[in-house]
Amino acid sequence: MNGTIPAPTIEYGMLAPMLVVFGAAIVGVLVEAFAPRYLRSAIHLPITLLSLLISFVLIVWQWVEGVPTKAAAMGAIAVDGPAMFIWGTILVLAFVSVLLIKDEGHFVGAAAAVPGSAEEEQALYEGAAHTEVYPLVLFAVGGMMLFPAANDLLIAFVGLEVMSLPLYLLCGLARRRRLLSQEAAMKYFLLGAFSSAFFLYGTAMIYGYANSLDLAEIGASLGVVGGQDMLLYIGGAMIGVGLLFKIGAAPFQAWKPDVYQGAPTPITALMASGTLIAAFGALLRVFWVALGGLDWNWRPVFYGVAILTMLGGAIFAITQTDIKRMLAYSSIAHGGFLLIGVIATGSAPAQNTSALSGILFYLVAYGFTTVGAFAVVTMVRDAGGEAWHLSRWAGLGKRSPLLAGVFAFFLLAFAGIPLTSGFFGKYAVFQAAVTGGALPLVIVGAVASAVAAFFYVRVIVLMFFSDPAADGPSVVLPSRGTAAVVGLAALATVVLGVFPQPVLDLAHSAAQSLFVR
Amino acid sequence: MQLYVPILVLAVLAAGFAVFSVSIAPFTGPKRWNRAKLDAYECGIEPTPQPVGGGRFPLKYMITAMLFIVFDIEIIFLYPWAVAFDKLGLFGLVEMVLFIVTVLVAYAYVWRRRGLDWD
Amino acid sequence: MTTHYLVLSALLFAIGGVGVLVRRNAIVVFMCVELMLNACNLAFVTFARQNGSLDGQVIAFFVMIVAAAEVVIGLAIIVTIFRTRRSASVDDASLLKH
Repeated sequence: MNGTIPAPTIEYGMLAPMLVVFGAAIVGVLVEAFAPRYLRSAIHLPITLLSLLISFVLIVWQWVEGVPTKAAAMGAIAVDGPAMFIWGTILVLAFVSVLLIKDEGHFVGAAAAVPGSAEEEQALYEGAAHTEVYPLVLFAVGGMMLFPAANDLLIAFVGLEVMSLPLYLLCGLARRRRLLSQEAAMKYFLLGAFSSAFFLYGTAMIYGYANSLDLAEIGASLGVVGGQDMLLYIGGAMIGVGLLFKIGAAPFQAWKPDVYQGAPTPITALMASGTLIAAFGALLRVFWVALGGLDWNWRPVFYGVAILTMLGGAIFAITQTDIKRMLAYSSIAHGGFLLIGVIATGSAPAQNTSALSGILFYLVAYGFTTVGAFAVVTMVRDAGGEAWHLSRWAGLGKRSPLLAGVFAFFLLAFAGIPLTSGFFGKYAVFQAAVTGGALPLVIVGAVASAVAAFFYVRVIVLMFFSDPAADGPSVVLPSRGTAAVVGLAALATVVLGVFPQPVLDLAHSAAQSLFVR
Repeated sequence: MQLYVPILVLAVLAAGFAVFSVSIAPFTGPKRWNRAKLDAYECGIEPTPQPVGGGRFPLKYMITAMLFIVFDIEIIFLYPWAVAFDKLGLFGLVEMVLFIVTVLVAYAYVWRRRGLDWD
Repeated sequence: MTTHYLVLSALLFAIGGVGVLVRRNAIVVFMCVELMLNACNLAFVTFARQNGSLDGQVIAFFVMIVAAAEVVIGLAIIVTIFRTRRSASVDDASLLKH
């Protein structure tokens, strides 16, 4: 009965960026509880933006002070170069997404009211609004930060859920086309829960094998523990399923178009950028730090998955007639391109660094362009809400050349045309893959890029060289927030395409330390 | 035998309390008569009407059930701490207080947004 | 000795997995997911016993909490969609396709 359990050391300073975001989310819940309805939105917005900003400043400060090289909180959370780079990227993209979210009219007034019922009328009349959106977004962003930094499979699972659970809810909160939105929420939820069960069972198997969930200890136990390889293989495969699902890689991509289409467009922007980045960070960390010694087993699988994802995403995108679904399939294809970078890792540290920095740069470039593209989608509207069908976009270039031009520019960046950010992203990843000996994959990647370029260009042709429909959609005058988002995204796409060097250097120095072990 | 004395004392106390409560109640308690008093299972509240023929339950049952699930299971973290709180020392106490405060925030939200109201 | 528990856990996980794939009612699908999570818990506790460490039992706590949070969010979504459509079948929810 005597003796004390030593208190764990927790480096609050290192974890501060994440704690700020979670703290602000909790404050947001309190605001929801105690502030009167008409004030809530006005209180939430500064809290949300300020917390994201403070968190970002803390990261920059820590970066200048020197990137930590050991895991914080007794090895549970690794705050290293890549993690900090990913955190910074997610925070900036979340900040931009919040500007998009704050626009009135994207979210339902009363989610519990049945569409078309008297209750809904009443809620609309009273001007009800789900300002819970802000704390939910903050919780999701906190989860997105925790997930790629988790140095422990349990923390990774918790991070995965903290990231996903608010997003499931946010998906179902669209003001218009509520049936689609609710359906998207249900599909995302059921499939997401299914995949996280796989992740968890994989975690259990790995725990059985290594008697630890710490990634470094798992990595050290590979080849040391004898006679239980089956547990390890099953565990690794199942964790892979869980992570690839979140990325939306080929056999597990089915949720992505439906969810991206049904969710409110600002939330789609947040998901498409933030979740993908967080999931790639986690995938890289788990498969390098913990299962790096097993790469002979997982590399061929990822090879196949990457090919399937790239080609599948690019080919199915051609058949789409809905702009959001098309962007979703394009996101799947980009997931495949990023997987090339994962395969490009090798045994030499220099090779790993170049592959990792390529992936990090790609994620930044893709994230900005995606948020920008979805921001444009929010502005092209019909009587019933956003005009999603591609035929409605015909001739948009003649009615509002500026908007169509910016959108065309984003599409070219997705396609990876030189002088856009997408080009350097693809270039960095493909180059790392060539030096890493994955030339066949790069060829497939190039073919998939060409296929993808076809449908991007098709949309551009449609916008500029078709006659506009008589009752075509109107382009709403953007609010300052939306205009800022589109402008910022366009600026980032140009700057990263013309002067990529500063960000490439930053990504390189972030990747220098690789992942802490 | 010495070991069992406290249990015996406790049993006697419990029995005494039960007998005392039941016998004092008719003299001190107020007397009100309503349907609930005549029902087979009586807990002082008139039961809400059951749906006929296994029909659907009103949604408010589900909200109560969901809130119960969440708050009930959150408290599971208190058990390991309660078993070893003396060994965990001040750090454990502070962490637990932080945890309870976070749960209280959620509770405040539910309470203020009328999640606990039945009607 | 712990093998039996692992086999049971694998069976539960498989039953849950098959249930998710073949059942058509969203609530039942969701219950199957919960069954899978509980299979994970059983595996964790078994491995904790087998390896002589307490970690697995602590993990089971975390999983239970996460599962509870998931239950609440899932039921909220499913009930909302049920109120809209008067049906909880995953086949009926098929507006989103190309």
